[in-house]
Amino acid sequence: MELTAKDMEIKIGKKEIIKNVSIHVKKQQFVGLIGPNGCGKSTLLKSIYKSLVPQQGIVFLDDLDVLKTSEKKISQRLGVVGQFNEMHFDLSVQQMVMLGRTPHKKMLESDKQEDFEIVEEALTTTNLLEYKNRGFLSLSGGEKQRVILARTIAQQPKFMILDEPTNHLDIRYQIEILSCVKSLNIGVLAALHDLEMAAHYCDYLYAIKEGEVYAHGTPEEVLTSDTIQALYQIKCQTYTNPVTNGLSFAYGI
Amino acid sequence: MDKQDINRIGMGNIYYAIIVLLVALILLSAVFSVSIGQVNIPFKQSMDILLHAMTNGRLGSLDNVQSESYLNIILQVRMPRVILALLIGIGLSLCGTVMQAVVQNPLADPYILGISSGASLGATFAILVGFGSSALLAQFGVAFGAFVGAMFTSMAVLILSSIGGKATSVKLVLSGVVIGALCSSFSSLIIFFANDAEGIKTVTFWSMGSLASASWEKTPIMAVVILLGGGLFLFQHRVLNTMLLGDESAITLGINLSIYRKFYMIVTALITGTMVAYAGMIGFVGLIIPHITRGIFGADHKRLMLGTLLLGGLFMIWADILSRTLIHNVELPIGIITSVIGSPLFIYMIVKKGYNFGG
Repeated sequence: MELTAKDMEIKIGKKEIIKNVSIHVKKQQFVGLIGPNGCGKSTLLKSIYKSLVPQQGIVFLDDLDVLKTSEKKISQRLGVVGQFNEMHFDLSVQQMVMLGRTPHKKMLESDKQEDFEIVEEALTTTNLLEYKNRGFLSLSGGEKQRVILARTIAQQPKFMILDEPTNHLDIRYQIEILSCVKSLNIGVLAALHDLEMAAHYCDYLYAIKEGEVYAHGTPEEVLTSDTIQALYQIKCQTYTNPVTNGLSFAYGI
Repeated sequence: MDKQDINRIGMGNIYYAIIVLLVALILLSAVFSVSIGQVNIPFKQSMDILLHAMTNGRLGSLDNVQSESYLNIILQVRMPRVILALLIGIGLSLCGTVMQAVVQNPLADPYILGISSGASLGATFAILVGFGSSALLAQFGVAFGAFVGAMFTSMAVLILSSIGGKATSVKLVLSGVVIGALCSSFSSLIIFFANDAEGIKTVTFWSMGSLASASWEKTPIMAVVILLGGGLFLFQHRVLNTMLLGDESAITLGINLSIYRKFYMIVTALITGTMVAYAGMIGFVGLIIPHITRGIFGADHKRLMLGTLLLGGLFMIWADILSRTLIHNVELPIGIITSVIGSPLFIYMIVKKGYNFGG
């Protein structure tokens, strides 16, 4: 699925968080949003997945008008892995992943064999099969995030939004989560903090600064020393990592 | 895969077995409950009388019943009371479970959103200021006052928490606290200016909860409200489950919690208001029964709901039995009993290792 967000303007209270931002994600493209804390990445994503109502702008998933369509219909196509949130009640991992089937269910419909199979598959994809009967609250942060990913996969989305999905995770979990998402081969829009990860996984990048698109293009085009210095107010040198042959960065204040 | 499937089926069987067991226990406890009291009626005879009444005489014979008065005591006095206990137990644990999900807080109970203070204010007003003078009207007046008070505060909380956007769980709880405090202060004001020691005693007694007013005339309204509410929420498990995740995640699963929160609040306020009107304030049941049930079935509302309703009903039948029999010839307010049994049970749950509110 393709995602188009055009001329987005979002105010929270009187503060203008997003000013005139347009973003386009092509079919099966992995697109990254980078930028400092508070630049409006999460706000922009929230308005795309209907958690916030933008003051202006249009959002389309293929030819589906997101802002005018019901949450249920959107959630059948669009999956979201958000920043980690607290829960006060415990569900088992399987029950948690089963919640991903919610958008496809009518109110009185029961879970069918098919749903259990989809959940099983999502657990296999995320390497969680042996955690199936564990309590969600007993898991570590990285494991919890994988469960959320499994839930989103069970949703069978045609497009996925990730909002800093690898926050607080160790390197292995970061790689696992992003590789897993990449292997789904669907359109992805992801807010990321780690620039090396962004360079490695993204096909296209948007750099956001103070609620506006500061630069966009392929990782090589966007992740230049100048752009990074302007975005984060730091000194930065880019170089080609001799081991991975990927883009790498040396930072300093 | 095979083993896991068997596991799943096995778990399902245990669930159904516990449900059947609970239903059986409720039936047995009900018969036991109608047997005992100031006049003890042998269990066998109670069973005969109940069977006879329920099957219109086809089953159970009255030949062995020693006294005509037994029929009256069981069918006119004790039976409506057991049914009221069962319904109140179901209602309280139902509203408790729903409220805990609505405000995403394990400390919630049916009264959390100011309903208790509102109902108290209504009842206090009815008792001390009054709607009328005749005894019958006064009795009706307390129930009416409590119900109106409960509904009024719920609506006020709902409106207050909706101001300026979505009714989030935090805003709901805070609105509940504020409106509750306001109502309490008005109740205190009425009591302060009331020159009526007997009336103040009645208010205190009312606030401790009682099933003594049970009668067949009151049963149908209670039954309709609570069973309709229970029936509704038995099929709301998907929404209730996503409520546990919070607003943000629920939206991404296609469910706008803000709307459901309001809807659930209105339904639970109706149920709680009706219960408070008939039986006063009965604390703790709506808090602990959902937690105990989570300890058995887990937090998935698909199983939790039915379990919690049955366990709540069973618990109240026994609380009622104890309130009538613990001290000879004295009927203790049932609110005292539920708290006295409830608190140690709850402490045990907290101390017991591994209880994660459902895991």
